[in-house]
Amino acid sequence: MARKSKAEKIVVPEKRSYNAVSIPTEIIINIVMILFCALCIVPFIFVIIISFTSEQSIAQIGYSFTPTSYSLDAYRYAFDMGAALWRSYFNSFFVTVVGTVLSVFVCALYSYALFRRDFKYRRFFTFFSFFTMLFGGGLVPTVVVCKQLLGLTDNYAAVIVPMLCNPFNFIVMRTFFQSSVPEELIEAAAIDGSGEYNTLFKIILPISKPGIATIALLNALAYWNEWYIPMLYIRENSYKPLQQLLMEIQRNVDYLAKNASAMGAEASKALTSTPTQSLRMALVVMVVIPIAFAYPFFQRYIIAGLTVGSVKG
Amino acid sequence: MAQGIAKTKKLSQPKHKEKITASRKKTFMLTTMVLPGAIWLFLLRYLPMVGIVMAFQDYKIYTKKPSFLNNLIHSKFVGLKNIKFLFAMPDTTWQMVRNTLGYNILFILLGLVISVTFAIMLNEITKKFVAKTYQTLMFFPYFLSWVVASYFVQAFLDPTRGLLVHLMQSWGMQTIDFYNNTKPWPLILTICNVWKNTGYSTVLYLSAITGIDASQYEAASIDGASKWQQIKYVTLPHLKTMIIILFIMNIGKIFCADFGLFFQVPMNSGPLFPVTQVIDTYVYRAMTTTGNYGMTTMAGLLQNLIGFIFIMTANTIVRKVDSDSALF
Amino acid sequence: MRKKKLLSLALVAVMASSMLAACGGNDSSSTTTTTDNTSTTTDSTSTTDTTDASDASSDDTAAASTGLDISEPVTLKWYLHGSNVTDDSAVMEKVNEYLGEKLNVTLQPIWGTWGDFDEGATLAINGGDDIDIYFTCSWSADEYNQYAKKGAWVRLDDPDNNLIQQYGSDVWAVLPDVVKEGAVIEGSDGVGVYAIPGFKDFGTQNTWDVNVTLLKKYGYTVDDIKNTDYYGFGDIMATVKAGEEAETGETFYPLNVEGAVLERMVTNSIIVNGDSGTTNVLSYYIDPTDVSKNIGSKIENKFGTEEYKKFVEKTREYYNAGYIDPALGNANSANDTLVAAQNAAKYLIGTQSYALGYEVQTSAARGIEVQYVPCTPPYVDKTATQGAMMAISTASKNPERAMAFLNLLNTDPYLMTLLEYGVEGVHYNLNDDGLVVFTDERDNYSPWRNGMGNITLLPPQEGEGVDFFVDTFIPYYTSAKGIPAFGYAFDSTNVETEMAALANVAGQYALALSTGTVDPETALPEFLSALETAGIQTVVDEANAQLDAYFAAN
Repeated sequence: MARKSKAEKIVVPEKRSYNAVSIPTEIIINIVMILFCALCIVPFIFVIIISFTSEQSIAQIGYSFTPTSYSLDAYRYAFDMGAALWRSYFNSFFVTVVGTVLSVFVCALYSYALFRRDFKYRRFFTFFSFFTMLFGGGLVPTVVVCKQLLGLTDNYAAVIVPMLCNPFNFIVMRTFFQSSVPEELIEAAAIDGSGEYNTLFKIILPISKPGIATIALLNALAYWNEWYIPMLYIRENSYKPLQQLLMEIQRNVDYLAKNASAMGAEASKALTSTPTQSLRMALVVMVVIPIAFAYPFFQRYIIAGLTVGSVKG
Repeated sequence: MAQGIAKTKKLSQPKHKEKITASRKKTFMLTTMVLPGAIWLFLLRYLPMVGIVMAFQDYKIYTKKPSFLNNLIHSKFVGLKNIKFLFAMPDTTWQMVRNTLGYNILFILLGLVISVTFAIMLNEITKKFVAKTYQTLMFFPYFLSWVVASYFVQAFLDPTRGLLVHLMQSWGMQTIDFYNNTKPWPLILTICNVWKNTGYSTVLYLSAITGIDASQYEAASIDGASKWQQIKYVTLPHLKTMIIILFIMNIGKIFCADFGLFFQVPMNSGPLFPVTQVIDTYVYRAMTTTGNYGMTTMAGLLQNLIGFIFIMTANTIVRKVDSDSALF
Repeated sequence: MRKKKLLSLALVAVMASSMLAACGGNDSSSTTTTTDNTSTTTDSTSTTDTTDASDASSDDTAAASTGLDISEPVTLKWYLHGSNVTDDSAVMEKVNEYLGEKLNVTLQPIWGTWGDFDEGATLAINGGDDIDIYFTCSWSADEYNQYAKKGAWVRLDDPDNNLIQQYGSDVWAVLPDVVKEGAVIEGSDGVGVYAIPGFKDFGTQNTWDVNVTLLKKYGYTVDDIKNTDYYGFGDIMATVKAGEEAETGETFYPLNVEGAVLERMVTNSIIVNGDSGTTNVLSYYIDPTDVSKNIGSKIENKFGTEEYKKFVEKTREYYNAGYIDPALGNANSANDTLVAAQNAAKYLIGTQSYALGYEVQTSAARGIEVQYVPCTPPYVDKTATQGAMMAISTASKNPERAMAFLNLLNTDPYLMTLLEYGVEGVHYNLNDDGLVVFTDERDNYSPWRNGMGNITLLPPQEGEGVDFFVDTFIPYYTSAKGIPAFGYAFDSTNVETEMAALANVAGQYALALSTGTVDPETALPEFLSALETAGIQTVVDEANAQLDAYFAAN
């Protein structure tokens, strides 16, 4: 099967060009895409510019695409954080990798069973997960369960476990299976005497790469971006992910700003000792860059159309 | 494979009893697959639902032996008192319901059309490298929080230093004090929403398209189908399930608004409330003054109950029309 | 997940917002002093002899911890606020060695930062976490009053089990009367003390923050500000604005204000319930020249008065003349804009809640001469005295030991200095005058100085006078007089629905009106009618009934 799909891959470009959209259409598509992408990337460039903007410039003219003066202070400050910074980089990375692998695994199992029409409890378990998308107990009881019952404080599990499952992803994954896995394939496998796990891992998953990659991507992004859950469960510095460091700074600033009129001079003083605006932006840059570089890894599977011909195989 | 064939031979003439055993075994195996997720859902989602009773309580700490359960058990029930604040001012209630629903409907429809269109467009780009680049760039807004986005918006709209304001001045136009003028905000908020969420939903549709067997396009093309016809008869039918599922799930959240979008992006500016006040911002402001947990729990419960009714209705309709696409 | 975030946001909100009242706004750190830092517990008591022993619970001033059984080792968890601590190992080693000897206690601080405190602490309180002592105050989310009512705090002067009398009489003897009085509130266990207040800057004084350098440039002096009031600033601002803009070619906004503070300064009103702009709808009025004189003020809807109308009309005039930056009218951009203008010294007159010695500090930071022109003498209101307190949780298994620890902390300079400043030789050194000079290590260990307790026990920092506390700090704050309704605190329990609606109405109009960004001609009547619908009258009536009851009882 592997050989066959490789062969197909080589054939694809020809077929594509033969069945491609007309050149004017493609130009229009490109223009639309370029415009939209510009809209998406310009704010990030803006953030990068601010991160290199000197404090005087921000004080004088506010955030601007064309600051009056530049400075590397923000990055210098960030790197001065030294061990704590690299440690939190590692934490983010570790949590993202382990969390993504585990959550994709759990998600694939759960949604595959939901996908199987001949699964007796299919509707029950679909509803069981779907219901939690709408109803929840709220923050206090959830935190109580996680902390007091499951002991999720100050360990990696405290970041990984609360995000392990996402009913939304279960249902999206089930839908991927529905639209890309023909039922005959499962029947055929069953007749071949393939066990359920064998069918899933050896036959279904290999042809569901785009779906798996998508879910993995979404989970990886979620883990990488998450700051709220760590904030609830992690106090020990050695377990804090990067986003938490960033958000702590942001929230300190917001809180002080909000309470400024109540705290008076006390707040102004604390505000002057919190990191600068350009530092906040520098941290945003440092958070976004690694995950942006990891993105193409997932994309390979999502975009390239690897599944061509697998039905026949 | 060889092993599989051997097994098939053994089972080639299954007796009735064996069939039942096989079916039991299948159910058992599939249940074990569900188990890790189900246990998680039970512990982290169902167990905390005990807390929903807070919506009907004047939640207090049980001083003799404080613990969450004890507090719940000993707190006084107050019926529907916690709901009142949502309806204290009829005009405001109407305003926030209108805004929440209106924006959500707009966002759902617009999001659907734009992401499906983008997914199809990306799929048609012949140079995969270019398509990948576009797709990567489209995801960037997802990384930026609404707080950061609000700085960006402010850089354009700030009444003194904003880029847009400068431009308008240099073109001799009358400048607008954006944070005081409600008119442009429905547009600004919509653009922000599309900007942030398109990358995310496009990737969902794109991977669904990628799952389509290329031979179907080949066949259609050989039959003389134009590109439009291929999209209409091959791509869209394949996307149907995904579209419907995402649509149903969005319907369930139709009474919940994206807090950051409506609170951070307009800089929490008072004069803009007529077009930015949504249920979630209203509840937030109410909570800031009362600190009453019961109130938020109640508001959330109400939002979700209505969402639940909507979703069940939508699902029932879908199931009647096309049972394959139904959520459950 | 998103939903959860929403909920949590709402929660943050809860907490982060209803900041009541100025917590004094005075930071002592800029100046300093010291009580002799070799002094023992009893010495420090004597330095603060403003306290008298009239309080019932302080009658028993004899050894505080006499009745305490310390045979069992105990761990105390202590939730703090505003910390910036990444490494406390060196400090905690010494602290626990010391506490182990004295009280057989191991201390486990939880270093709450500014940003996560409300949420973290509130979740811990509501979830019944096993924490012994919480920082609490009245401004952040009104935690002190609110959670006292909800039953989160142990009543410390409970007649049946008076922890203060038994284990905390030393600290009680040290505290000024006004601070002790301010701690008395109505809680789940009746009217009493539910937390040990910190001895910090407990007076409030609103001032005009004047850029004297700029003023002089245009031939004015600070007396020109002193001799007029808000309504008379127009000419000066016009001259300076014209001059600055001609010179730099950039827009110049002379009036750099916080809407809520400005409103209080101009109308002489006192915070009744919250200061976040959304909860701040009620006012109590004082005589600006004699703050403790009872002028018979009732509690009023602050937006409904003639005084307010006059104020917003003037403010609108100033706004239209280009004196106020429009960004000051957006809740989320106001503070950034304000601070940026201050730091760049691009303002003429601002608002500032005063802190002792603040002019030296800000003049240096902004590179100009700054003077603060007071609107009133310093006064004490209840919210200011509740600016930083330590409450013992009802979830604590060892409230006695917790009280004994607080007692020791607030009376023992060694312990207090160790916890506040770190280890001598590591986090700080003493210079020849005995003043504290911080080292680089301090970056890893900086708790919030006002967030622990009795700051008068601390040695002074470099740049602060050697006798700051004795000569300056204590006289300044103890001279502050209580406002007439000092002991009164508004209890909004019965009008929560109305308060929730009012917060949304006020959020829409209050800041915009108080900074002139909307036209009062149309906006004020709209605002007043919306307040009416939301039930302002019910709230005002409730507040006044409570006020009357308070005056009747006192």
